[in-house]
Amino acid sequence: MPRTSTLCLALSLSLLSGPVLAQSAPARGSLTVAFAAEPTVMDPLKYSAGVDHYFMGQMFEQLVRPDPTLRSVNWLAESWKVIEDNGKPIIDIHIRKGVKFHNGDPLTSADFEFTFSKLRDPKISRWSHLQASVERFEIVDDHHFRLHFKEGDGSYISGQLQLWAVPKAYYERVGEEGFAKAPVGTGPWKFVSRVVKDELKLEAFDDYWNKEHRPTVKNLTIKIIPEDLTRVAAFKTGAVDWVDAVPLAMVEEFKKMPGVKTVSVVSGNNLFLDFNTDQPNSPFRDVRVRQAAAHAIDVNAIIKSVLFGQGERYVEVGKGGIGYDPELKPYPFDPKKARELLRQAGHPNGFETPCYNLTTPREPNVKEVGEAMFAYLTAAGIRCKVQGLEYGAWINLMRRGRNGPPEMDGVISMMWSQNLPGDPGTAWAGHLHSFVPGKGWGSYSFAQDAEADAMVEQLKLTMDPQKRDELARKIARYKHEKVLGGLTTYRPMITLAWRDAKVDFKPWPYPGYWRGFQEIGLKQ
Amino acid sequence: MLLYILKRVGQGLISIVGASIVIFFVSRLSGDPIVLLLPTEAPPAVVEQVRRDMGLAEPLWRQYLIFAGNALTGDFGNSYRWQAPALSLVLDRLPATIYLALAALLFSILLSVPFGVLSAVYRGSWIDTLGKGFAMLGQAMPNFWVGLLLILVLAIGFNLLPAYGYGTPAHIIMPAIALGWYPVAAQTRIVRSAMLDVLDSDYIRMGRAVGASERVLIWKYALRNAAIPLVTILGVYFAAMLGGAFVVETIFAWPGVGRTVVEAVFSRDFPVVQAGVLLTSILFVTSNLLVDLSYGLIDPRIRYDR
Repeated sequence: MPRTSTLCLALSLSLLSGPVLAQSAPARGSLTVAFAAEPTVMDPLKYSAGVDHYFMGQMFEQLVRPDPTLRSVNWLAESWKVIEDNGKPIIDIHIRKGVKFHNGDPLTSADFEFTFSKLRDPKISRWSHLQASVERFEIVDDHHFRLHFKEGDGSYISGQLQLWAVPKAYYERVGEEGFAKAPVGTGPWKFVSRVVKDELKLEAFDDYWNKEHRPTVKNLTIKIIPEDLTRVAAFKTGAVDWVDAVPLAMVEEFKKMPGVKTVSVVSGNNLFLDFNTDQPNSPFRDVRVRQAAAHAIDVNAIIKSVLFGQGERYVEVGKGGIGYDPELKPYPFDPKKARELLRQAGHPNGFETPCYNLTTPREPNVKEVGEAMFAYLTAAGIRCKVQGLEYGAWINLMRRGRNGPPEMDGVISMMWSQNLPGDPGTAWAGHLHSFVPGKGWGSYSFAQDAEADAMVEQLKLTMDPQKRDELARKIARYKHEKVLGGLTTYRPMITLAWRDAKVDFKPWPYPGYWRGFQEIGLKQ
Repeated sequence: MLLYILKRVGQGLISIVGASIVIFFVSRLSGDPIVLLLPTEAPPAVVEQVRRDMGLAEPLWRQYLIFAGNALTGDFGNSYRWQAPALSLVLDRLPATIYLALAALLFSILLSVPFGVLSAVYRGSWIDTLGKGFAMLGQAMPNFWVGLLLILVLAIGFNLLPAYGYGTPAHIIMPAIALGWYPVAAQTRIVRSAMLDVLDSDYIRMGRAVGASERVLIWKYALRNAAIPLVTILGVYFAAMLGGAFVVETIFAWPGVGRTVVEAVFSRDFPVVQAGVLLTSILFVTSNLLVDLSYGLIDPRIRYDR
């Protein structure tokens, strides 16, 4: 039996108890909604892309999750705490009783053990490294289990305790292919059918455990319409009742449309501009040059003009994220100061540098934003030789540890994505910590700073949310002052729209995304 | 005839093997798929293990031999991205694309044949100018723009047709127009030019001399003899539509194979690219063979024995 340490954490997080069970009217009617993208898989053991969450999150659930206000609440976990045994951390979890899968099987600890065993296997999961710090899974009873860690892993907590509820017995009976064709979870929606590139049909789960927060519409059809204007046309003609990702240029038009309600929400993606500071001859090794770049770009103007206002400025960590510091202010736009800093750094006439721009629209207008930023840099004297890169080439250029050229030898537009409200730990381990071959640190980093490295390593080990937040704030301040690991710019905003007279919708953020239909229904 | 078919099938097989070699090696020039499959923070050991598990650590020539051997049994491997059999992903989408290509082809024939015939019969008149102008319009406008314009006018403006999707006959109309308008100009010109040749021939003059009706002479005798060049180009356009419907499929959210394969190219999903391209190659070869064989039906004087 592990010993609970008074020193280590003893965090009882059950104060955020979950929702209260209550009775509600049976679901009725049908709704059709339109998404811009579609998932590749709908199996939590095999998911690979962020877009998979939009769909997987309708049918599957995790132990904890953010509520509509982005506060992390216990979900399938009734309570959990971090304890310690001989200096090694343990997460001790009690799960809710009475939770059923869509096929009627009860949720037990064995289902989470099954998920854990699959997620740690790189032959099955693309995210096996997220389970690497867990030594073993201990089942205490049907509704109580423990995760024994080799060492601290703060990202495990910030990643909603990483585990999804997957029905062991059903999965083993139908196999991977059978599960892919008919996925079964505990979520508010159960799977009906799917036509790839066309639609996904779901039905409200009558036996859903959380009677207070459930959809009140019976049938939901999610249509896949990748082309912006076609999606808008489908909404305007009444073919769909709710639409995802209103094109930036049309957001204002949608807001003025009679009978239409919109909400613009920030995404989990964080965009920044990174500089090479680890090559001996790079001018960006000088902090004054990096600060000059920070003063040279008018990010607010870019958000207003290029993004039609659909972006939120952030400094190191977005609002509400771990390490968010409202005292940190962005570098003001001051081209005069930028030129002065360049002069002080020994570049009175500026210098030329390669600037790599992502051209694949991973986020709306990301190419145009990059072009605008590089134009600002050029105007201040950091003369960009802009090279556009499609996604594959861009990833290739930023990934460290490859053999041979090309090398990221200048400036590159980059981004990191994590759950909302966001924890920068994993991202900073990737792009703020210096690159250490074979160790997993700095896998896309062009920074080199021993002090930052030490703090990022400490952050990884820190599981106490309060201590984690304090350390992340310290790193953020250091990072901001030195413009290290990139210049943070903005977080994209997504606008969702629906017919107000017909649709009753409350946006709920699933990890990283706002497209969950936890609470949607038809108005009387 | 049989010998001819066997010879053509043999030539087709050589083309398909050639296509398989080209697509296999060219797709790999786009880079390493592992960097797109795994998160950026995945440790190097995991990256290497996944590379080995997916057979990407083998020398390229060996990877090709494994691929070719498996492909002969219908196994194109699992999609890296969809984690499902690549061939099924392509085959499941293929009927929608064939349906779209056939509808587009039908649309193009319905326009180009009357325009071509009337332009030839009324050479130099306003009918000739109008026909050529309308056909040229299709060639001058990119199909994505035609598609968006159709949605704007017919779906949003007049609410006559569904803006997107697949399922009912109404759904096919706008995608077929967007895809099928482009080849109308070329087809019209070919029909017009072939008809001009035929209308000047002796047997048409003879027909007129013996008092045969002009309608019968043009639409029955002249058109049939002018059809061979049209059929040839139709075969080429049909195959091109199968492989090139991507843009129209995206605009109209049409669940076809074009979107699947192009997305696979961007995500370096080699098994899907290979399955898609090889299947399109087979359809291309088959379509050309059928076109060649149809010559004998159109013109019984054509023999395949020599």
